[in-house]
Amino acid sequence: MATYTYTPVPDQGAKAGVLAYLVISCVVLLLMMLFGLLMRMEQAQMISIGALWFYKIMTLHGAGMVGIVALAGAAIMWHFLRQYVDLSTGIFMANLILFLTGVVMILASVLLGDFHAAWTFLFPLPGNSMGMWTPGAAALFMGGLLVIGVGFVLLHLDIARAIISRYGGLGRGLGWPQLFGPDDGNAPPPAVVASTMVTIVNLIGLVVGASILVMMLVNLYVPTFEIDALLAKGMIYFFGHVFINAVIYMAVIAVYEILPRYTQRPWKSNKVFLASWTASTIMVMFIFPHHLLMDYAFPKWFLIMGHIIGYLNTFPILIVTGYGAMMIVYRSGIRWDMCSRLLFVSLFGWAVGAMPAFIDGTITVNYVMHNTLWVPGHFHTYLLLGMVAMVFGFMYYLGKPNENAPDSALDVAAFWGFVIGTMGFTMSFLYSGKISAPRRYAEHLPEWVPYDKIASYFAMLLIASVLVFIFRFLTRLGLASRDYQRASLARSMAT
Amino acid sequence: MIATLSHHPGRSALALGVFYLLLATPIARDWLEASMSRHMLVQMPLLVVIGIIAARLVPGRTQDSLLIRFGGAWPCVIAALFASSYWMLPRALDAALTDPWAEVAKFLSLPFLVGFPLVLAWRRLTLIGRGFVWTNFFSMLAVLGWLYIVAPVRVCNSYLVNDQENAGWYMVIASVLLFFWWLGTLLVGGGVGPDKPDQSGPGRTFA
Repeated sequence: MATYTYTPVPDQGAKAGVLAYLVISCVVLLLMMLFGLLMRMEQAQMISIGALWFYKIMTLHGAGMVGIVALAGAAIMWHFLRQYVDLSTGIFMANLILFLTGVVMILASVLLGDFHAAWTFLFPLPGNSMGMWTPGAAALFMGGLLVIGVGFVLLHLDIARAIISRYGGLGRGLGWPQLFGPDDGNAPPPAVVASTMVTIVNLIGLVVGASILVMMLVNLYVPTFEIDALLAKGMIYFFGHVFINAVIYMAVIAVYEILPRYTQRPWKSNKVFLASWTASTIMVMFIFPHHLLMDYAFPKWFLIMGHIIGYLNTFPILIVTGYGAMMIVYRSGIRWDMCSRLLFVSLFGWAVGAMPAFIDGTITVNYVMHNTLWVPGHFHTYLLLGMVAMVFGFMYYLGKPNENAPDSALDVAAFWGFVIGTMGFTMSFLYSGKISAPRRYAEHLPEWVPYDKIASYFAMLLIASVLVFIFRFLTRLGLASRDYQRASLARSMAT
Repeated sequence: MIATLSHHPGRSALALGVFYLLLATPIARDWLEASMSRHMLVQMPLLVVIGIIAARLVPGRTQDSLLIRFGGAWPCVIAALFASSYWMLPRALDAALTDPWAEVAKFLSLPFLVGFPLVLAWRRLTLIGRGFVWTNFFSMLAVLGWLYIVAPVRVCNSYLVNDQENAGWYMVIASVLLFFWWLGTLLVGGGVGPDKPDQSGPGRTFA
């Protein structure tokens, strides 16, 4: 029987590459949030940018947010994983360069080429613009996604190489010997298990994504090579859903690694933990049909699979992580600071954000709700109050001047502004969904406008809070690369 | 298998030569080239495999000196990519059936410009390089299969449209199966790890 005791580990500073990832993430995240605010203000009739700019901004906001949260998640994963395995800095930086190249291509496609077919680039829209954009602009957008995908394939291949070299295989990285045999207490740490899972699912997703992107590029210039629209949608959603799901599994490594430093209690890679990650490795690849439940032409078994696995996959990692966090915090005497607050609230955001998806994954509900603002309500809660809160928690951890450094009143106010702003903003989405306001509409009926206005005000509060987070991180960049004790010891342990 | 080959290099080379000649006999050629699927997915891969086995029969030192002469691992990979890409073109298949010189070129280029250099390069490629080659191969094989399935015209004069579609489906199926095989090797790890250093090269393997 394995026993688990906490072994103190030094708080390492971030490498220059991790800081570069985070600084770029801050800038792009803020820009994308401003784009989001512009869209809500347009729907609220507070400004008038016109439909063309609305859809151009929507395309940039969607693609930009998916890409930037993946970049931020990769920074967290790489920072902690390199403390267990030997990762290549060159590949890490190559991913960043390819990412920036892809971003430039996408920006050129949208801003110069007027491409505005949303980040989902659903077939046959990119090739059927009715003169709104050229095939060249569509090719630039899809080429940009392809370049970003190549960067992430390289990053995951390097992670796979490092885990295989250290543990002997990705199965061992998931802790299968301890899961299916006696638990000798030598299972890989949670950071390795999570990175292994993300690597497996993202490699599969990215290969499928590259395939459909190349197929659509061929079709763009030689339309007689026809693509089955349902196949294209299935492949795009498989790739897109796996990729966006994986970002929270990268970012949650911050919770696994940092909260134990505050509580001096170990985060156990026990059988339940390992089983949940192995189960999700499989299930995360089969839940994407819950976005396709309205496509009645798909085979019935496919849609039922999406319904059932959508239900099942909501819980394993979420419950294990949420319950695990409560167990290590309960009566630990944890000292709450900006980092520990943000990490803890991120689990609340994750749990609350998953629920609307759980409800929407029910076929009968989906028919009514899926094309409403209910769905943006789901993923904005899940990403903002879940994943992005983890990223900011990590940034506060890196920049904390010393273990006893107090937080300023401005930071604490920004924390509550972030929580209240996000909740108000996302609840406005969800309520708009409840009253059947459709998603992806530039213009709203007068009945929907009040909720758009409320959402805009909450979004302003949220962005103001994020500005404080980003300002604080940028002013502490010098500290972020140094090795010293950051996490405050729990009261029961502090001398 | 590699160990078995290196224990009896003479016998293995003889068997390989016989198999190569067997593939070149009119009976084997007629049967394998009668359908597009057998031509593309049986005969051509077998010729590549002959090149792979031939390279493995060459002593390690000779392989190293050949690799240096050829300019390193990546030139060999690129040569293999170009040569194999050429034989994916429908008109190349037609030429092999109608022009004896094209047939000779196929029998020489696939073993010696694809299989052989790939083995030389493989030993020196990092795991990331190997993974990149594999992932690119899987996705592009699937895309090529799709192109053959949906092509609006008969792409080869020598084969019927339904043969072309069958070949496309087999390519898609092969890419999926190969991808899962490769993922399986990652999960199992091929015995590489802290206690079992990789025996097939300089400490790096991905199938």
